[in-house]
Amino acid sequence: MGNTVFEQENDMQKYRENGNFRQKVRTIYQFIQDNLYLNRPDMRVGEEPFNSALLFSLLTALNRGKELIIGEPGLGKTTSAEYVSAMTYRLPLGLIWASEVSGHPEQTEEKIIGRPDLGRLNQGEEVVVWSYLAQLPVKIVDEINRLPETKQSMILDGIDRGNWEYLNDVIINDEYCLFATANYQDRGTNTLIAPLIDRFDVIVESRHPGPDMALMIGMKDRHENVLRSPEYERSFQEILAQRRDHHEKMHLIEDLSTRFGDHMKKEHRIEMLSKDERQEIRACTQELPLDLDANAFLRTVIAELSFCYKYGQKRSDDQCDEGCHYTGFLCHHMKNCISNRFPTSVRTYAQSLAWLLGDEAVGIDHMKAVLPYILAHRVQWKDDVISQKQTSTRRDPLQIFMAKEMVTEVYRRYNEQSHQIKNALAVAYQSASGKDLEPIEGDHPIYLEIKRDLEEVR
Amino acid sequence: MINPFEDFKNYPYKKKEIPLDRIVQAKEKVIGEIVEGYLKLVEEEVKDLVWMVEHSRLIKAYSSAVRTIQKIDYDTDDIEELCIELDKGDKIPYLISGPAGIYLSALLNNAKEDTIQLGLYEFKRAFHFLGYRLPQGKTLLLKGNAGDFIGAGLSGGRLVVEGSTGNWAGAGMMDGELSISGNTGQNTGAWMSGGQINVEGHILGIGKTIHGGRIYHRGNLIRPYEASTR
Repeated sequence: MGNTVFEQENDMQKYRENGNFRQKVRTIYQFIQDNLYLNRPDMRVGEEPFNSALLFSLLTALNRGKELIIGEPGLGKTTSAEYVSAMTYRLPLGLIWASEVSGHPEQTEEKIIGRPDLGRLNQGEEVVVWSYLAQLPVKIVDEINRLPETKQSMILDGIDRGNWEYLNDVIINDEYCLFATANYQDRGTNTLIAPLIDRFDVIVESRHPGPDMALMIGMKDRHENVLRSPEYERSFQEILAQRRDHHEKMHLIEDLSTRFGDHMKKEHRIEMLSKDERQEIRACTQELPLDLDANAFLRTVIAELSFCYKYGQKRSDDQCDEGCHYTGFLCHHMKNCISNRFPTSVRTYAQSLAWLLGDEAVGIDHMKAVLPYILAHRVQWKDDVISQKQTSTRRDPLQIFMAKEMVTEVYRRYNEQSHQIKNALAVAYQSASGKDLEPIEGDHPIYLEIKRDLEEVR
Repeated sequence: MINPFEDFKNYPYKKKEIPLDRIVQAKEKVIGEIVEGYLKLVEEEVKDLVWMVEHSRLIKAYSSAVRTIQKIDYDTDDIEELCIELDKGDKIPYLISGPAGIYLSALLNNAKEDTIQLGLYEFKRAFHFLGYRLPQGKTLLLKGNAGDFIGAGLSGGRLVVEGSTGNWAGAGMMDGELSISGNTGQNTGAWMSGGQINVEGHILGIGKTIHGGRIYHRGNLIRPYEASTR
């Protein structure tokens, strides 16, 4: 039965709005690229060139993600995140700056999350004064790897779930995204603990833009920025400083944000995104299905990153056997097992990218584009694999370079047997539904994983 | 229980296929057709559960068997498989010696191969009528003892028996060669009109009526008398 006229009109309306939102987001990307964060494109999706740091920051802001931005000092790691955050969350740049937390050894929970209201404490009341970082939907942690490892644990829960606890009080962010920057290893940096690093959806490098663009950046006035508005910044800070319920404050912030957005549109012709628009974009994004190839390819990648023939699954403390049949697969080259956060990150970012490009479903190209940035920080390579690759000619930092190579390699394997893998999954569906069918066999961990699943399901 | 493969519900799938399975399946199909043909012949021929060896009946049964097997794509392995089935009796509920032999001969005479070897050592039953109307250009080698009417109506082919035969070996043969390394029974070469029979073992009896052809015993011509005494 066809749609009713009402439903068709609704669909059309949705389509128009969706198209408008997409155009708006692309305008934001273009505006930042042309005016605020000058950089070279360093990746392609289909035929379209993008700058990975800017693209993934935008997708992170849109889909409530968590991004780790690495790079040399002074190459715009924090700046790119600030611009994207300001424009997608309709907040003045000065407020974003005020909410940022810097990682350093002396950093405390009181600066990052909240502190007791000393005046009220003197009166015997335990009231928490929450930090801007905890309250605002945009969170930027600068130089996160300068936080000692013990202090990194403090922000785990906040980063993961948006739960911020202090004393006996808690606030939960219903919408938030997080950007953290990290310099390359030097004497002042610490290693990011594995549970923290796994919570980041993506890693990108903010690169040197090349001498010509660097000169253009150098010619700009450092103190003038169109996204700043001292007047609005003060108003926002006044709301955040109020002793009110968190949700009430967020409503006030959204109202003020609407006025700020109108002001930016009127004064500077800059369009930013409202909360409703962000929600609508997320809803549309989440509706995008993965086509069967993207689906099967992702399963193939996960199989290689989690499989162990001998010990049942990858474990950081298990050593691979010499002469294992699966030495040609990724499982043999890495130490750890990929986490369950990985497929969530892949799906979310691939859907966002497909939406941004106006595609109706997530395909292999979207997967191939996002996977290296989602894998690079999550895979712990074996030392011999790193030593083989670290002197290779490349344009990316080693971990992203290795992740790109890894994705190319798995894709090649998938492409060689995509029909067989899809057939194996289809047969597995029938078998798990009760049909008497033998699982399809093949030379890839995914076939054994399917068999293991069927042993459980049957 | 969650089906983790739900996304592939509508993907057109192909079952797992092992090449050997396919071969076995094809073989089973062919042997099924052959057995079906035999049962059809038996049904036509043995309406009153008695089958008499009469010339016209033989011709009718053979013609019927040839018609039945025309559409079957078989080889000598399938013929051997039928012999095993006839001997075991698992797939075939009743073995009537005459029609079984006629049917086997129709299969042998119409096989793609020119030279066919059939091992009879391991069978408990004796197969009759093997080599019936074996045509010119065909060679049939029977390894082991065979039953009655071996090489009956031989029509130009070469039939070699590495073993003994029962009665009526080479009966009514018209042309070709029947060589038997063992013994033969009664009425060897009865009604033969052409061709040659060679017997290395003992001959229990020669057919009373012989219209033509020659019978040799251990290299010596014993029929026709005229030629042998000349």
